[in-house]
Amino acid sequence: MCGILAVLNSTDDSQAMRSRVLALSRRQRHRGPDWSGMHQFGNHFLAHERLAIMDPASGDQPLFNEDRTIVVTVNGEIYNYKELRQQISEKCPGKKFGTNSDCEVISHLYELYGEEVAGMLDGFFAFVVLDTRNNTFYAARDPMGVTCMYIGWGRDGSVWLSSEMKCLKDDCTRFQQFPPGHYYSSKTGEFTRYYNPRHYLDFEAKPQRFPSEPYDPVKLRQAFEASVEKRMMSDVPFGVLLSGGLDSSLVASIAARKIKREGSVWGKLHSFCVGLPGSPDLKAGRAVAEFLGTDHHEFHFTVQEGIDAISEVIYHIETFDVTTIRASTPMFLMSRKIKALGVKMVLSGEGSDEVFGGYLYFHKAPSKEEFHSETVRKLQDLYKYDCLRANKATMAWGVEARVPFLDRGFLDVAMAIDPAEKMIDKSKGRIEKYIVRKAFDTPEDPYLPAEVLWRQKEQFSDGVGYSWIDGLKAHAEGQVSDEMLKSAVHRYPDNTPRTKEAYWYRTIFESHFPQRAAMETVPGGPSVACSTATAALWDAAWAGKEDPSGRAVAGVHDSAYDSAKAEANGEPAAKKAKV
Amino acid sequence: MCGILAVLNAIGDSKTVRQRVVELSRRQRHRGPDWSRVECAEAAVQPPAGYGQAHHFLAHERLAIMDPAAGDQPLYNGDGSVVATVNGEIYNHQALRAKILAQRPGIKFASHSDCEVVPYLYEVYGERLASMLDGFFAVALLDARSGALYAARDPLGVTSLYIGWGRDGSVWLSSELKCLQDECTRFQHFPPGHYYSSATGAFVRYYNPPFYTDFEAVPRRFPSAPFDAAALRQAFEAAVSKRLMSDVPYGVLLSGGLDSSLVAAVASRQMRARSGNGSGGGGGQGGGNGLLSFCIGLTGSPDLQAARRVASFLGTRHHEFTFTLQEGLDALGDVIHHIETFDVTTVRASTPMFLMARKIKALGVKMVLSGEGADEVFGGYLYFHKAPNKEEFHSETVRKLRELFRFDCLRANKATMAWGVEARVPFLDRAFLEVAMGVDPAEKMIDTNSGRIEKYILRKAFDTPEDPYLPAEVLWRQKEQFSDGVGYGWIDGLKARAEQLVSDRTLADAEHRYPDNPPRTKEAYWYRTVFESHFPHQAAADTVPGGPSVACSTPAAAAWDAAWAGREDPSGRAVAGVHEAAKAEAEAEAGTTAARDASSIDRDSSQELAATATTAATTPPSPPHVSLSALLAEAADGDAPLALGRFPPGAAAEPAIGGGGGGCEKPPPLAELESLSPAAGASALALSGETDVGKARGAAEVSGVPTPQPAAKRLRR
Repeated sequence: MCGILAVLNSTDDSQAMRSRVLALSRRQRHRGPDWSGMHQFGNHFLAHERLAIMDPASGDQPLFNEDRTIVVTVNGEIYNYKELRQQISEKCPGKKFGTNSDCEVISHLYELYGEEVAGMLDGFFAFVVLDTRNNTFYAARDPMGVTCMYIGWGRDGSVWLSSEMKCLKDDCTRFQQFPPGHYYSSKTGEFTRYYNPRHYLDFEAKPQRFPSEPYDPVKLRQAFEASVEKRMMSDVPFGVLLSGGLDSSLVASIAARKIKREGSVWGKLHSFCVGLPGSPDLKAGRAVAEFLGTDHHEFHFTVQEGIDAISEVIYHIETFDVTTIRASTPMFLMSRKIKALGVKMVLSGEGSDEVFGGYLYFHKAPSKEEFHSETVRKLQDLYKYDCLRANKATMAWGVEARVPFLDRGFLDVAMAIDPAEKMIDKSKGRIEKYIVRKAFDTPEDPYLPAEVLWRQKEQFSDGVGYSWIDGLKAHAEGQVSDEMLKSAVHRYPDNTPRTKEAYWYRTIFESHFPQRAAMETVPGGPSVACSTATAALWDAAWAGKEDPSGRAVAGVHDSAYDSAKAEANGEPAAKKAKV
Repeated sequence: MCGILAVLNAIGDSKTVRQRVVELSRRQRHRGPDWSRVECAEAAVQPPAGYGQAHHFLAHERLAIMDPAAGDQPLYNGDGSVVATVNGEIYNHQALRAKILAQRPGIKFASHSDCEVVPYLYEVYGERLASMLDGFFAVALLDARSGALYAARDPLGVTSLYIGWGRDGSVWLSSELKCLQDECTRFQHFPPGHYYSSATGAFVRYYNPPFYTDFEAVPRRFPSAPFDAAALRQAFEAAVSKRLMSDVPYGVLLSGGLDSSLVAAVASRQMRARSGNGSGGGGGQGGGNGLLSFCIGLTGSPDLQAARRVASFLGTRHHEFTFTLQEGLDALGDVIHHIETFDVTTVRASTPMFLMARKIKALGVKMVLSGEGADEVFGGYLYFHKAPNKEEFHSETVRKLRELFRFDCLRANKATMAWGVEARVPFLDRAFLEVAMGVDPAEKMIDTNSGRIEKYILRKAFDTPEDPYLPAEVLWRQKEQFSDGVGYGWIDGLKARAEQLVSDRTLADAEHRYPDNPPRTKEAYWYRTVFESHFPHQAAADTVPGGPSVACSTPAAAAWDAAWAGREDPSGRAVAGVHEAAKAEAEAEAGTTAARDASSIDRDSSQELAATATTAATTPPSPPHVSLSALLAEAADGDAPLALGRFPPGAAAEPAIGGGGGGCEKPPPLAELESLSPAAGASALALSGETDVGKARGAAEVSGVPTPQPAAKRLRR
């Protein structure tokens, strides 16, 4: 991962503009602490802040094709770069590569295949290509938006692309998230979706089509194992985030097994867990780590340390979404400690709840068709929530998070399964994410202890310790008066905060990002326990409640009863149901 | 190393002030990327009712070198009545622990952090704390029992620390200026070797070595210990050895010159000795037991070649980094923001060091040893050739040492800490200084007739041919200056850029624009504007030294030679003539150089010709004049208080005088030292004793009115 900033077609090609771009790029230097690169070609500027994961010695960017007519600045990892190099060499024998960086293929691919390049990459990425032969540019973002990227337009007609919003917000009159799975070409001035998997096309077809493949545990397991293993490509030490829940434990297990099988120059797998002292995650993470034999690191934080960090967290993750901030803060603090240990890359478990319908409200899915449609909608929105969190909360400290559940190949397998298999039916023992649990239920050679494999996980922001969310609310109570909350609808007519906590976050967000366009990048709208607006119609009991708490759905969940009762205030339980 | 920020008696709502302190502390997070913590305590004495509440805050940004897992700060004594934030390394912490345990049996330390002794020592010994520490440090601590704030800085000021006073009566302490400048109406360097206690409100110098007290005695006294090569060598070895204390990978900065090569040689021997019993401290990720060494330069620079030779002699695991002129120029705004000075030679030398530190950090290394201080201790600057007697020689070394915190200490600390890399400087070790500064200065006097070149006794101490520390040609050859050694195009490139950015008219107006410490060259003007955009307050400019200097001498030494008299700030070329190699090379170049020197003596422009000639190939074409907005844009980032167009005109205070020599560069290469040349005359031709490196620059810089600074600086880092 890295930070990229491109300013194209600026009317200003002066030294002053160069200095300006450098100063702006510095704002995302946390993404690329290892080196900075800047390429100016006339009135185009490509800046890069590098985090060196592959080829630390020589992969400084921007990167070029052989005759240096094509310049590219990339943030991301290309897992199939070896195959692509091979492909390039076959098509163009004698081609010389300037570095061993996985990202260099992009410049050559663009030279050979033009706009097809984005669709050929397997990995997560955001990049900008400047073609000096005809003075055009091209930008693309990975299929699911694991890598963040924004696009903006300046008053002078310039086009800006940046990994984080903070670099372009002051210079663009309009900006937005760059749509995931799309590329933008200056030749046409249009966004084109290059990522068109079966589950997207079927979803958009009229009438809508649904997947029907039978569930094959072995196939699903192998697809996920392949996904985790390809993400272990790294020239620097790495680890895994291990909260002790199902998703992160599976990732850790596969990674640990591979290292046990094949060895590693860095010794045992590192695993990391964060929590308030005595939190559920710390216990669960420790148990799994012991089972797997990882080199486990526990980090503790206090509520005060978390609150001290909130403003900075919001500055980094660039959202005021309540649950995202709650969950980002521990992740942000943990990333700092991880980085302090010299680790630059971690594997993380995001995405599983979307793919398999792991949220509580999926209990209420009226049909397998609705169930499936909701998973697609959730996946398509993920870049505004968990992808954004996983990317920015870690990159705030130059730690790269890789998310195997959002692997292209794995998604093709997991989203093609007949959704009837994913439906929750406790009477038949089918709890949430049944098929992924079942796929790894191999008692003869267990991936995980049975109680971890079959137990529902604490949510991240609760799992770090019950007093975390309570502490945030108590602090918000001191920051926002009843009067202020009452007039919130006037103060923030769009996406109005409904709780003091939300109001507090909103004011901090506004202090960092006062532009209206910035506010518009943050999602809002009706939701039941993190459902999409569509799924909020699933239960009549939810109707009429604009933003009901998760307790409305908590009843479907056995263990949630207790915590819901314990929480006098319904809000945390609501969020409990979602990361 | 870390970043500390302490506020005593801040008035206001505690949550609001706390949030502000958190934000301000973040400005020096580069110093402590690994963890942060803020401690808040209610002040014992509160303002009258209705005037708000007073609180104390201690904020800490941690770089974890010792006990990374447990040593988070602030640190407490046993009952929590003393809270301390510490930036630094305490080498004698084991001995101090034992001492504390003897006084307070049964104490349980919470970590293995070397700094944890600080609150306990204060509990037991009170204000004597600072003098008991062997290491480099900046300490701020609160004594809840008395409500007092106590702060201290290491003897020489290796660790940076500032103190400021807020409008509400608060007292601020901060590792870097940037954290307190917006809150304080007055601020300054915290004096090295002093402590401050809010109980008395006074600064007390706790560091009183014989060479300070002798220097201050009336009549002045001078050291007389005979030169003992073995004692000097062992003292230096001990200084290096204690600096290898680290729980994380470390390395050594190796430019290939004498000072850094000695550090590397000693460290590498010790590493070898230690790895014999299985601990290869600096092994880095690969786990080998070779010392890591680092060098930076423009492609093909002298330093890169010299360091490579030394590295291969020593068998270190050597890393070379190259940077381009453009990368250096692009970083300059950052560099000035970090090092907080506009001193020309400091900026020049800091930039490569800043870039190198980033690469070092990227390799996972958090600590390096570095060679600063030797030139001060042993009188390694060219102008020491002219010392009239051993007494003057010695006095000048003392003066130089005392000013070091404004120059090389500041550079070595901040250029590396910009990326969370800690630099340790064995030449400024307390015990080593006592030995080296106790030697009869007659031994340090330079007399090339008898083979005594600069830093003779240091070289001699390590001249053990039976088991050589270094190849003889390294041990006995004078080193390239840091900012020259990185490549000849570097300084030329800076000047060429300055030429584009600052017009003749602007420079001519400099005395009005900057009545205090006015920049005399376009380069200096450029740096000054960048500095001002980051640090607009007069108090900030006042922290930067200026004043008369000959080739980096202090003002007192500027009176050594009649030829220097009457020149406020003569160029280094006035002393360059004492230097044989420089002269020889200059003569070899006589055809072109001398002529240019002579003809350019009245003009300030030959430098541009030369500079643009040498850099034309590397500098991308830029518009000839870019206006000040380009300079200011360098600083235009979110958290830097942006001062676009905000220049407090004539915001004058008392001029910064007596600041000693500017940061300086070292002498030109001295490849073939033969004999002492006739003293440099005052004539322009006699002044032409420049190296080929410096010829173009020197020519321009010597040029007349007002006597320009940079060539002077060239002679010293």
